[in-house]
Amino acid sequence: MTIVIEKLKSLATDLSTRYDSLRKIWQYSDSQPTEITLAAALVILYPIATFLELGYSPIMQLLAPIAGLYQLYCVSGKCLSCRVRASWVTFSFYLLAAVMYLYCGLLFKGPSYWGWILLSVSSFGSLKRIKKEELHRKNG
Amino acid sequence: MDNSTQVILAVVTLLGSAGIWRYAEARLKVKAELKKDEQSASDTVLYRDDLKSRVEEMDAALKEANKELLALTEKVAKLETENSFLRREIDILKRN
Repeated sequence: MTIVIEKLKSLATDLSTRYDSLRKIWQYSDSQPTEITLAAALVILYPIATFLELGYSPIMQLLAPIAGLYQLYCVSGKCLSCRVRASWVTFSFYLLAAVMYLYCGLLFKGPSYWGWILLSVSSFGSLKRIKKEELHRKNG
Repeated sequence: MDNSTQVILAVVTLLGSAGIWRYAEARLKVKAELKKDEQSASDTVLYRDDLKSRVEEMDAALKEANKELLALTEKVAKLETENSFLRREIDILKRN
């Protein structure tokens, strides 16, 4: 019995350490690959998916690819404030998609639609990471 | 979905995301400030700052000591010369 309790304690400690590690990676790791993925999805996937599922919407299908390209342009540069700006725009577009799907009653129709929430959360996490990096550089 | 609904939803979402981001940004800034304050008040940083000031003081003292050493070397050289002249004069006086 004692051995089992000891093993459970060590397992709990290990899981706690791993959770902390994941939290740190989520908060502080490099966000460029995520930014590129989100931007590419905004340029390619976003207009196609919204056009096929929600119908023609010039705000989403014309402006989103431009925002995605702007994000790619900023990631390729070294300006952090530009990346923050572009990431906020990307986050806004993914949030807009989630809101549009919710308005049309599609968001909770099937689990595959929850991807828009995931993309919103991911873009917001990416935005926070870049801002943290910017503040860290300012504060030294 | 008509165009006016799309525009209204877009504007509402834009304002919402701006609000969310402003709140998150303010929280991040506060956290960063707190972290900065903690770091500047920590023992390690105080010790490092103390070491820096001591190094600067010692550097200034070393430069001053170098100047004094140079002046002393000059004086010793003068005195040695004077001493050799005086010895020569003593020798001359002794012979007389």
